[in-house]
Amino acid sequence: MTIVIALILAALAYYAWYDTLGPTFTMTVRPLISGFFTGLIIGDVQMGLLIGGTLELMALGVYTYGGATIPEYSVGAILGTYFGKASGFEVGIALAIPAALLLTQVDILNRFLNFIFVHRADTYAENGDDKGFDRMMVRYSHMIWGFSRAIPVFLAIAFGEPVVKGITSFFETYPWINKGISVAGGILPALGFAMLLKIMPISKYPAFLLLGFIMFAYLKIPLVGIAIAGVAITLVYQQLKLRKAEG
Amino acid sequence: MATAETEKKITHADLMKSFWRYIWLFQCGWNYERMQSVGYCYSILPILKKTRPGEEEFKEAFLTNLNFFNTNPVVGAPLIIGAHIALEEAGASLETTEGLKVGLMGPLAGVGDTLVWALYNSIIFSIGASMALTGSVLGPIFVLLFVFFPYLAVRYWQFTWAYKQGVNLVTQLGGGIIAQITEFATIVGLIVIGGFAPSIVHLNIAWKPAIAATVQGEAVTQVIDIQAQLDSILPFMLPVLVTALAYWLLKKGWTPVAVLGVLFVIGFIGGAIGFFG
Repeated sequence: MTIVIALILAALAYYAWYDTLGPTFTMTVRPLISGFFTGLIIGDVQMGLLIGGTLELMALGVYTYGGATIPEYSVGAILGTYFGKASGFEVGIALAIPAALLLTQVDILNRFLNFIFVHRADTYAENGDDKGFDRMMVRYSHMIWGFSRAIPVFLAIAFGEPVVKGITSFFETYPWINKGISVAGGILPALGFAMLLKIMPISKYPAFLLLGFIMFAYLKIPLVGIAIAGVAITLVYQQLKLRKAEG
Repeated sequence: MATAETEKKITHADLMKSFWRYIWLFQCGWNYERMQSVGYCYSILPILKKTRPGEEEFKEAFLTNLNFFNTNPVVGAPLIIGAHIALEEAGASLETTEGLKVGLMGPLAGVGDTLVWALYNSIIFSIGASMALTGSVLGPIFVLLFVFFPYLAVRYWQFTWAYKQGVNLVTQLGGGIIAQITEFATIVGLIVIGGFAPSIVHLNIAWKPAIAATVQGEAVTQVIDIQAQLDSILPFMLPVLVTALAYWLLKKGWTPVAVLGVLFVIGFIGGAIGFFG
């Protein structure tokens, strides 16, 4: 039974990346969704929501801008939810974060190894072999992405139970580890915002960043309200600017 | 002559073939060397086969379209592919189509990343995650609905719109529309981030030093609530500082993973010794 679940969840990890690279129908690479799907598969939706939601808030705004490598939150959510069901939320989340961090190395290797496909594509192009190229794309182009996530998930679930039991008792003996992880989890989203700010010209528009902060910190406007106010303020700004340009 | 012209005509079926190729496999094969190159080529290939029937001209176009390419896959790529098809149909040279790709991929990557990831996704995912944390399955379902339909619609619309606009598009986009959309997305993004960052990043000082003092001959212990003092100076001071630190490190050229390591160490040690909470 464990092997079957391990295979299904490995397939989910594969699908999560394929979906992001191709159709982007479900954004399963995001921990909120992969946690939810894992919860459905293993029959503990609440755990999936908790683990997925917690990781999602940590990963908010963290995206692969320009091909940057980010922690592997989808694998983190899958494993966190799976082990959380057996051993509780604390253990699940304490496993999810290190798992996500560990697999960042795999992502870098994966993005490097994919050069194989461009070089084969060059050969197909030189021979005018579009059929061969299509075959490579359909059958193989997603394999390194998919298996580099699916295999770790499969191994962790198929052989991880004794290890996880050991880890659980370890965390119970040293509660300060969980305290440390929960504080770290609270500040990790700072990275996402920093990445966003880096691709934006803050020095050109510093006032708008401050406006958003004031609306939240002092006026206590909920986030959706800030977004709507943001659209209104920007429209006014652009209209005034346009009028000025027109003379 | 007339038959040759009609053969080169792009039908609706050709368009859809290219669109669905883009949907199914656009970023598969992404690599550091040429990024989205193979996915782009895969999407445009059936069109090239039609517009360049000669063996040598097809090979040349095939190779050229394996050049480096990278832009936002959701807002950006479909627009470029659509416009590229229109140019192909009009008999444009490879220099022209490569110029279109290179000219638009950079600006559209900026617009797309800001609009899709920074703005739209941050909003829907923070709402979804907050709902999920209250134990509601509506959280992920809300996100799934707001990903599936809008993403497909916005991609289809860009693709067909860009194809219809065709050659005009390049001059239109050059004429300030891109700049205006970018500015709009940037400003809204900055306002939202200004409010989002302190609401999502959590850091408080839990340490409350107790100071033994003698007041009017009586020994009392005074507990200092540092966090309350900080809040009265500037609410959310620590989340702002920690975000500024991450930003500064990234600006200095640190990789995101390295910054993550630093944040994790600060948070972990601070939490483990009970200084932060």
